[in-house]
Amino acid sequence: MKTDTVVEFDVALVERARRGDAKAFERLYRDHVGRVNGLCLRMTRNPDLAADCVQDAFIKAWKALPKFEARASFSTWLHRIAVNTVLEKRRGPSNAEIAVEDPTVHEEPTMTFDTPVEEEELEAAIESLPQGARDALVLCGVYGYEHSEAASMLGIAVGTCKAQLHRARGLLRDRLERGVR
Amino acid sequence: MNRRLTRVDELKRDIPPGRDLWPAISAAIEADKAAADAPPSMARRRAAWLPAVGLAAAVGLVAIGVLIGLSFAPQGATPPVVKTQTGGSPEMMPAAYRNQRDALLIEVQAKLSSMPEVERKKVASSLATLRRSIDEIEAALGRDPANALLQELFVSSCQEEMRALTAVRDSGSQET
Repeated sequence: MKTDTVVEFDVALVERARRGDAKAFERLYRDHVGRVNGLCLRMTRNPDLAADCVQDAFIKAWKALPKFEARASFSTWLHRIAVNTVLEKRRGPSNAEIAVEDPTVHEEPTMTFDTPVEEEELEAAIESLPQGARDALVLCGVYGYEHSEAASMLGIAVGTCKAQLHRARGLLRDRLERGVR
Repeated sequence: MNRRLTRVDELKRDIPPGRDLWPAISAAIEADKAAADAPPSMARRRAAWLPAVGLAAAVGLVAIGVLIGLSFAPQGATPPVVKTQTGGSPEMMPAAYRNQRDALLIEVQAKLSSMPEVERKKVASSLATLRRSIDEIEAALGRDPANALLQELFVSSCQEEMRALTAVRDSGSQET
């Protein structure tokens, strides 16, 4: 979670960037690029493609800054653009995945493991998840977005997002059980 | 080196990219700024009047639709009167044109009331669509009054409407 001071600092930088100050936008880039890249990398599983998405997302953000509403979170807005960029790059018949799950399932508040696992193994297990499940886990589980926010970013129903997260948790647990222990 | 975790949300969120992406982003921003400062290009001017061309095409098609509808519709019963859409206030039209159109509309109204219901609905709907298209061109002209192309489209669309209204008025007399 960002502190109020950081958010206010973002607001000031965003305001300057909106007026065409590229230096202010560079500062925003430096502050946010790691998180945006982490998100894109986990969604694409490809460092080069993730970097392309990050680059495109920041360019789109610059162009869309006049439309950004100051009361919204710049970070969330930027993530939304990044997710949208990843989805655009992904579009194509070979990448299509259809989510057919029960949207009424109840999910646990957090994804915990009985036995601690290596960070690297957990990243590998997430990477091995099907696309839809991975997207939901990355946005809700790793980046802490609410189902409604994640669903809106991904362009899916809230119920589908919940179902995908439930599916991701099950698959992740299975894969870690098999691979780690 | 590698941490041991018990929760997914313990994973680090910040993963810097392998290379600095700022130079490419900065170059794109500079190009965007330069494009914004440049005088309007032919492409941008074209983008401004393309919707109007679409509207004009729609006007033409609807006018043709009115004529075709009249040519093939059966004649017969005399159902109750329906209201045709007379559009908003055509402020940009000359007074003589407005008077002529108003008079024509009265005759068209009478003609429509004598048409069979199916035909009447079809023709009234086409005329209403035609009027809406003209209203949209008029609204676009309101935003960009100096646009010569829009002015031309507006005049030709009004002429199309007059032709369509005349065709409706004369439709019965042609066939009897």
